This record gives sequence, structure tokens and C-alpha cells, in this order.
Amino acid sequence: MSDWTIDELGSWDDKIGEIARNFGLNWFDIDYEIIDYHEMIGAMSYTGLPTHYRHWSFGKAYERTHTLYNAGATGLPYEMIINSNPSISYLMAENQMYIHILTMAHCVGHSDFFKNNRMFFDTSPELIIPRFKAAAKYVKELIEDPSIGIGEVEAIIDACHSIKYQIPRYPGIKRRSNEELKQIYAQKMLEDAIGEYDDFDLHKIPLERDYNIMAFISEHGRNLNEWQRNLMSIVEESSHYFIPQALTKVMNEGWAVLMHEKIAKELNLPDKYYIPFIKLHNQVVRSHLGRVNPYHLGYNIFKKIEERDGFEACLLAREVHNDVTFLRTYLDEEMCHDLNLFSYSYKKSKDHISIDETSDNEGWEKVRDSLINTVGLNSIPTIYVEELLKDHTLILRHEHDGRDLDMQYAKKVFEYIQDLWGDEIQLFTVLEGELWEF
Amino acid sequence: MSTFREHKSIVDRSAADRVRHKKKIEKAIKESIKDVIADESIIGQNGKKKIRIPVKGIKEYRFVYGNNEKNQQVGSGGRHNIKRGQKISQKRAQKQPNAGPGNEDGEEKYDVEITLEELAEYLFADLELPELEKKRFRYVSDDSLKRKGYRFEGIRPRLSKKETLKRKIRRKKKAIALGAYDPDSDERFPFHKNDLKYHYMKPKPKENTAAVVFFVMDVSGSMTTQKKYIARSYFFILYQFLRHKYDTIEVVFISHTVNAKRVSEDEFFKRISVGGTMMSSALEVEIDTITKEYHPDSWNIYTFYAGDGENWSDDNKKTINLLNSLKENNQMIVYAEINENRIHPEEEEDVPDWTSPAFVAWKTEQPDSIWTLCVPLLDNRFKRVLLTKPAHIWATFKKIFGAKE
Repeated sequence: MSDWTIDELGSWDDKIGEIARNFGLNWFDIDYEIIDYHEMIGAMSYTGLPTHYRHWSFGKAYERTHTLYNAGATGLPYEMIINSNPSISYLMAENQMYIHILTMAHCVGHSDFFKNNRMFFDTSPELIIPRFKAAAKYVKELIEDPSIGIGEVEAIIDACHSIKYQIPRYPGIKRRSNEELKQIYAQKMLEDAIGEYDDFDLHKIPLERDYNIMAFISEHGRNLNEWQRNLMSIVEESSHYFIPQALTKVMNEGWAVLMHEKIAKELNLPDKYYIPFIKLHNQVVRSHLGRVNPYHLGYNIFKKIEERDGFEACLLAREVHNDVTFLRTYLDEEMCHDLNLFSYSYKKSKDHISIDETSDNEGWEKVRDSLINTVGLNSIPTIYVEELLKDHTLILRHEHDGRDLDMQYAKKVFEYIQDLWGDEIQLFTVLEGELWEF
Repeated sequence: MSTFREHKSIVDRSAADRVRHKKKIEKAIKESIKDVIADESIIGQNGKKKIRIPVKGIKEYRFVYGNNEKNQQVGSGGRHNIKRGQKISQKRAQKQPNAGPGNEDGEEKYDVEITLEELAEYLFADLELPELEKKRFRYVSDDSLKRKGYRFEGIRPRLSKKETLKRKIRRKKKAIALGAYDPDSDERFPFHKNDLKYHYMKPKPKENTAAVVFFVMDVSGSMTTQKKYIARSYFFILYQFLRHKYDTIEVVFISHTVNAKRVSEDEFFKRISVGGTMMSSALEVEIDTITKEYHPDSWNIYTFYAGDGENWSDDNKKTINLLNSLKENNQMIVYAEINENRIHPEEEEDVPDWTSPAFVAWKTEQPDSIWTLCVPLLDNRFKRVLLTKPAHIWATFKKIFGAKE
């Protein structure tokens, strides 16, 4: 049934590689795995990783993806690539040749992005697979350990997953232990000539806001044993792995789409491939009414940069920006207007959703700011460790930026954190303008 | 350089995680079942009919922003002409509709379709008829196979992994002792055909303890449609439970007003009557039936009564006496009262512990009601339960049959 052979894939890949090199791209080698539909759904549920620790939530992801696909609610997954070195990508065996060509050209774009974008500088792509493999093995051993078992393992992972994004949101920041911070601040106090640190309490824990709740609990928690701490650092580490991706979703997809389009134009594809290729491409970059399609947004911004300042400027942008700085720098009034972006929110008093701002002369900046507030990790509230009291009560605070928490969810997470911490915790936030304590 | 690899995976690595997820869904089904259990659509259905149960998805909780005016989302208007203040949806916004890792879940609902038989399996897996004793008279059914020992020959599904492995280990140890195999080498020590051992299945005549169950229901005029509905649901679930658990159980249906009579299953669940209430009439029919057909030496006897408690007060004393004598030869009697006046508003969500003699009804109590008069009888062989709304049925059920949770 398929209209392709592995040799053909190889020869198209050679051509794609040559063109991409001429554009100045520089990517990791790519290992393509040819898998069937079910394996593809499987790969997607484990966020593409060929090895990952076990958890029921991935089973749920599988069922959901499978159901969505069966219901026709989602297009066919045509790409899945891991930022390892070499990159690992999946081609679905059932797909036709033109889809494979698009996928391969697209993956070259992603791999190039992984290798060059600054957000990824600290990801040690050579170690990603072995790390996940070791983690998976460790979790498996805990599950099989009769004195621990799946129930206890899940209890910890469930709890950790609830705070998996409560880690520093910028790559490459090394967490300092309490002892290390103490030394730094002791030094500062010593060198303090203007009395800035006169009232500084060196015994407060933590000395700085700690945005890494998992690591803090692991460092100071009194009720955890070794395997539980190890499990926590496994979840934490996999979170760190996803941070750069979450920070660059719009750019990364936009870049890959731009590149597969540019490469396809040079490939001299026969009509039987080119026409369906363009159809698929248009499908990928279409705007989604009422939502923001990151492919659409990222692609259009890169197109604009290329028009205005040439492809060299695109290469530079893909290297230095993340989604926030990318949107702030390049999403201007004209583009907001062209994309017809608007902001909306739920009005409690009227129990409906209505439009707040449109992208006209007065509103576009607000729309852009709202967009920036919702890309990647900005869509997730920040909760930090404020203080550890003498009686071992843990004080957490939500960095309130105007947006209130979903209290039902917050309450559940609060319980999860309490499970991990084992002693008293308090969580402060603001609800409808008033201080709120859990 | 790219490489291409067609890989044939033998293991489905998501299988285990899907099983775990399914287990959680099943648990959720069990939890939603109490809402479904008395649903009109399942009462009186046969086992093959499919029932749809809405089950809430297993949520993964994280800190997320709620629906509020400051939590503005952004969308593209396509070619539409959009204006400020324009209403775009009546529905609440979905959680984080667009952004990256934030969009993992919202309100998810699975519609699970199951048959009544499967429902019974979910419901009744952990439940047992209490106080079942071995009586003289036994049913014999011969359709069960029982594992008994091991054989060297057998069919593949009956392979005993444990015995096989034991034999292999024994052989390996011997080989090491004889120097024929070096355990430190990378070489595998393979299974040999002689290692294989199979379970031997012996047909076993299964002995079943005989049991008869009396379903007794008040169908008098004071039983309103709603009360009858609850009573029927209760009996229906009971009936399903007994049928599911015990192949050889006999059920006697008795319905009563001021008179009582034995009725067929069909009549029992469908019959509508009017008139006053004399509970003793039904108990007399039961005693009569027991005397004639079900000798307590040979039979485990259970009685389930349901009514609204509005018995003729002249009949109460007699009823209690009959209950008392019935208790002598019953394994268990459950008196269910469908009486909405008895639940305290604050207790609505929880099912109070009616089994405790200390439980006091909140209605101005008539001291000579069956509910009060039966207090001295209460023990693990005589239970009284209160059903005021369909949701109580399942909770009651678990109490009677002792679900381990």
C-alpha cells in the first residue's frame, strides 16, 4: 500500500540535507524510526521519548490521543522529534511519501533549532536518552520492589506531577543549597559598606525565594526516605528537560514550518508530491478560529522577518530568542492586525465569555501582552517557598499577577504538597482582591 | 547523516500504564455507580442491555489560573469582524485553551458503556451473603474444574510457570555443581522441555450451600410512586446480586397490603396495589412457606423487607413477635424503611449508622413504630436500614454485605 521504500526516503533525505546546509542550517544527525500507528500514539504519549518512567498518566495520554484521533478531532501526527544527539524522530509507516518528505524537512528545522537556540544550551543532548533510561529503570525497580510497590511509587509521582512546573523557568540556573546561600550572604554582609544587610537574618530559610518546590522539599523535608527523594529528583529532572521546549513552542514550530516550506521549494518535487505537500502545509499553518495556532503564529512572524530583513535575520532570531522576547520584539501592530488577534475572558457577573481587546490602534499592545502572558510557562501560576518556620511549617506563596488561581485545583495540589512535606504547610494567594490562605 | 530504522517492537510499552489508567477509570465507575444504580433505565433490564455511565476523567491537578477577567486568553479572529465586548460563548472558558504545557486537561468525561452483567461484576465483586452456613441439604453442580497437582503433559495455557522455573533452577544448580555450566559466563541457561510442568485440572463436583431468600415488599397505598421506585430499585439490585453470586439460590417474592401473597418475579416488580398495611400478613406467609418448603436445617434463609414503616399500629406488636420468631431460623433479616422523614438534613450526604441502637430518628417518633420496636432485635442477624433517596441504596448495600474498601 505504501508508495515509498527506505531507499527512497534516504535519497530524499540526502537532497533535503544538501539544501538545508546551503541555507546555513546546522543540525544533529537524525535517527528516523519507522513505526506503525499504535507505536506513534505510544511515542506521542511519552512525549516522544523512546524511554520514560512508568506512570498511569501516560496511559491516559495514550487513550486520549487515540480517542481524539478516532473521532477525527485531530490531524494525523506527522512529526515527533526528540532534542537528543543524535535527534530521534518517528515516521509513521502508514503515511505516504509526500508526508515523509514534509516530516523530514520539518525535522531538520527542529533539530537545527535544538542545536542552535540559546534556551537549549544546557540540555546535554548526548545524555538525554541515557538519563531517561536510567530513570525508567529505577522506577521499574521500585515498582517491582515488594516493600514499595506501584501504589507508593504512584503516590509520590502523582504528587510531584502536580508541581512539576514549579521549578525555575529559565534554563541553566543551578540551584544553591541552603549552606551555599548562607556562605554567599555571609560574604555579602562582610563586604557590606552601606548597611544594606544590617537587618539581614542569616538563619532564615530559604535566604532567597525558592522557586523549586520539589528540590526544597527534598532538601528540607523530614518525612522522606531515600527512594522517595530519588523519585522526586527524577520528576524534577524530566521537568527541566521540558523547560526549553515550553519556552520556545511558537518559535520552534514556526521555524520548522518555515524551513520545510523553503526546502520543499528547492526540492523540485514532482506534482504528485508537491500538490498534496502544499495542501498539508496549508493545513498546518492555518489559523484556528478563537485560538492561537503556534505553527501559524511562529511561521508568520518568521516570514515577516525574512521579508523585512532577509533570511540571515531569521537565523539570528532562531538563535537568540525565546517565545516571550520573540513576540515582544517582532509582533507589531501590523501583524496583530493581520492575524486579527483579540483577547477575551470569562465574565463572572454575566456568566459568559466576551472579547476584551481587538488589534486596532488602541488595543493591539494589550492583546500582545495578553498573548505573552499565556505562552508556554507564563500560562502556569508561579508558587514559591517563602519561609520554613521553626516548627517546620512550610510557607508557600503564589506570585499573584492579577490572575486568580483555580481554587479547586489549587486545593488538590495543596494536599499533594502536604503529602510530600509531611508537616504543616500554608499557602497564600489573592482571591478577588483579598488575601487568601489555604 | 540520517539513519532509517524499521523497528518491530514486540512489547507495547504503554500497556502497563494503560492498565493502571484503566484501573483508575474502573474505580471512578464504581464511584459513579451509586448515581446510576437506581436509574430508571436499568431497573428491570436483562443482563445484556448496555448501560451508559458517565465517568469523570482522572484529573491531573496542577496550579492553574481560574476563570476570571484578568485571565485573558488570546485567539485569532480569522476573517471575522470582531468587536470589543462581543459575546463569544455562553459556556465557561476551557482551562488554558491554547498554551503549551498548560493545556493538558480540562473537564474530561468518559462515557463508559457496560452491560448489566458487567455492572454486577463491578458492584458485587467484594460482597458476600453474610452468615452463610453449611446446611445438610446441598446442591450439586458439576461444572467446575479445580486445579489439583501437576503433570508433565498439558496444554499451554495450563503451564505452571512456578513449577517450571523451580525445575529449571534445580537443573541449573546441578549443572553448576557438576561443572557443566559456568554461572559467570554470559551464556544463557535455557529452559528444557523436561522443565515444563502443567497444572492438572480435576473436575470437581461443586458443593453449594442451599439458600433461600425472601423478598417482602409493602405495596400499599401509602407507598408513593417514589417510595415504590426506591423499594423496587433496592430489590432489583439485591436480585441481581444474588443471581450474579449464587447459581443455586431460590428467591421467594411476597408482596403485601393488609393481605399478603406469594407472587412471581414479574408481578413482584411490576404489581401496583392500593390499601392499608399489615406487615404481619406477609411474615405469616413467609413462615408458612418456610414450614412447608424450606426447612431451616437444610436451608440458609434470608429475609429482605422493604416498606414505608406506616404499619397499622394494632399490627405492630404481632409483627415484632413474628420477626422475633423468624429471626430464630433466619441467617439474616434486613428491615428497610423508606421514609424521608427520618433523615436529618445535615446527614443528607452521609448515610447515618442505623445499625447503632443509639441512632435516633428525628421525626417526632411514635414509640410503637416498627422502627423503634425492632431495636431490641438489632444485631448482626437483624438489621434495619433507612432508604430515603436512590443514592442510599448502594451505601446500604455495602453495609449489609460488607464491601471491603
